[in-house]
Amino acid sequence: MPTRPDRYSANRVLGVLAVAFALLLSSLVRAVELTAAIEVYDAAYVSMPGNAIPPNMPGAELALINEEFAHEICRRIGARCTLRYVAFGEIIPGIEEGRFDLGFGNFLRTPERKKRVAFSDTVWRSSSRLVALRTTVEPLVGKTGQAVSVDSLRGVRVVAVDGSQQQSFLKNIAGERGLTLVFATTPAGTFSALREDRADFALLSAITAYLLLQKDSTRQFAFAGPAVSDRGLGGSVHIALPKQRDGLRHTVNQAIATIRADGTFQRIVRHYLPLGLD
Amino acid sequence: MLRERYNSTQVFTLLATSVALLFAIVTLLLAIDQERVLESSERLQSRTVPEIIRFQRLARNLDQLRQEGERVFSSGTSEGRQQALFLTMLVASHPSILEHPQAATAAREAEAFLVETSRLATENPASIAARYPQWQQFSKRLNLQVDDILVEGANLATADLGAVAAAMRLTRYKLMGATVVVGGLLALLLLLLRRYLLRPLQRIDHALSTLSVDQSAPEFPDTCLAEIHAVEEATKRLHGALMSNDAVRRELEVLANRDDLTGLMNRRHFMESAKAELRRAQRYGRPIAVAIGDLDSFKNLNDTYGHDAGDVVLRNFAGLLAESLRESDRVCRYGGEEFAFLLPESTVEQARVLLDRFREHCAEQEIWLTDGVLVRVTLSVGLADASHCPIEIALQQADLALYEAKRQGRNRLVVASDAG
Repeated sequence: MPTRPDRYSANRVLGVLAVAFALLLSSLVRAVELTAAIEVYDAAYVSMPGNAIPPNMPGAELALINEEFAHEICRRIGARCTLRYVAFGEIIPGIEEGRFDLGFGNFLRTPERKKRVAFSDTVWRSSSRLVALRTTVEPLVGKTGQAVSVDSLRGVRVVAVDGSQQQSFLKNIAGERGLTLVFATTPAGTFSALREDRADFALLSAITAYLLLQKDSTRQFAFAGPAVSDRGLGGSVHIALPKQRDGLRHTVNQAIATIRADGTFQRIVRHYLPLGLD
Repeated sequence: MLRERYNSTQVFTLLATSVALLFAIVTLLLAIDQERVLESSERLQSRTVPEIIRFQRLARNLDQLRQEGERVFSSGTSEGRQQALFLTMLVASHPSILEHPQAATAAREAEAFLVETSRLATENPASIAARYPQWQQFSKRLNLQVDDILVEGANLATADLGAVAAAMRLTRYKLMGATVVVGGLLALLLLLLRRYLLRPLQRIDHALSTLSVDQSAPEFPDTCLAEIHAVEEATKRLHGALMSNDAVRRELEVLANRDDLTGLMNRRHFMESAKAELRRAQRYGRPIAVAIGDLDSFKNLNDTYGHDAGDVVLRNFAGLLAESLRESDRVCRYGGEEFAFLLPESTVEQARVLLDRFREHCAEQEIWLTDGVLVRVTLSVGLADASHCPIEIALQQADLALYEAKRQGRNRLVVASDAG
């Protein structure tokens, strides 16, 4: 008795091929895993687990903006992102060590930093401003008849966030001006230094200072003097990225461009702040 | 003076090169304009539009500063006033304001005024109303600044758009110019083609189609194209060849149709002509007569004076025939000293009169031989009507009549009917 040859249904063959293709494709297009570092202003919230930034946290608005912005970028570049909440000073070392792929803080692009990390295209723009206790500022103004400014600081104690550009600036002028430098790991720490009389002035980014001032219920603090955007104290703000990862930088830049072009970025900022940052 | 002529390949190559060169120049000019438009567009996109956006943001920030300043005055609580003041100071700290000197000055002065207002209000809440008119001046100044910045930003696009418009206008003029030049060049090309190629070819075509031996040699106006001139010359040579061939043909025809000795028609040609003439006469019912004449005693003359003398007599006789007969009459050397006559439009009677007179004339004719001997010859003629019978029959009848004329004593004419 002759044996009947095996015959296969075309649909079944196609189905098997489609499944095999899908499996192959899924392995190829597996989402990239990225870790994004978000700056928090208060040491109490560093290493906070999950997406749980409380609205009353000092500087929560900027952290939330950075968080949403990070999510949006990750979504646009098809990456799965894990967020880490860290102090400003930890971000660049973390990127250098490979712990973070994206660093969201108020990063000005300076030659020193460019040696350590890469930077995205401009995200927003920033300047710096002095903050002090009202009891410190008002007598000074009354005495000289002129507002205090970065250039008029002589023989005083000034606090800045560790690793910030303000800290670098102060280090450069401290000897010449007879300044005593005090460092804090977070912006909230600078206010503590003022409050505890460990410093007379804090030099912060203007947006950081504003966010802390408007959350300060004691009303002890005030802006001191005009804003400064030259001498490395202002300019464009960027996302920090690992060096040698041009592909990532390129895709992040494309995502930033589309997020800005379609108005998503502006909506995120407006959701948390009463003004635009760019 | 020999006119200089040009090779058409060179001429058309020159024209084609000129058109190609012109086209290349126009393309280059348009490419330059296109590059200019692209540069302006690129500048507009990469520099001007971001700059305009920067101006818009600056204007927006200044306007927000003004609004927050208003809030400092309108806020009912010191807390609200303080919040508005912080925001005012933050906006005044924005790099977009700091880098614009006029905006920075206006913002700094407004901020200082508001800080002072806030301080005084803390000490004396009533003071805030007193300072409001002064704030309105600041507010107005900020408003004007916003308008100026918006206009300044919008004007940035004007230069680039103007450059694009100017380049496009220039492109349009160049295109129009190029169209006119190319059109003119094409018209010139067509004119030159018509004048130096088509018209000469038409003239040559006409000359060739009418080329015949009846026409004079074709004449052509002078041309500057070597090839056309060559064809015209060839046409002229062709006409010359036609004429030459025709002359040869005529000569051959004469040789074929004439008797060598007398120059009269030969018998074959006479018979062909006679048949055609008879058909015509019989078709239209016209009279026609034939005759055969024979020189009397010609054998004796030959025997006496030799054949050369006979030839002289025959040639003289043929000359006499040519002088005496009508244009329409035909005569041939029928054989030896016999001659056949065809007399169209002549009745037998009319022919008899004509031939009899010729016979008498012939008898009187003196013929000098080469050796000075004078001879005279007489002619016997047999005449017949050919109006109603074929030429062969008519000639037979004439021959019979000739025989009768000989029998009756020579030097006479006998009509076939008389011969009985």
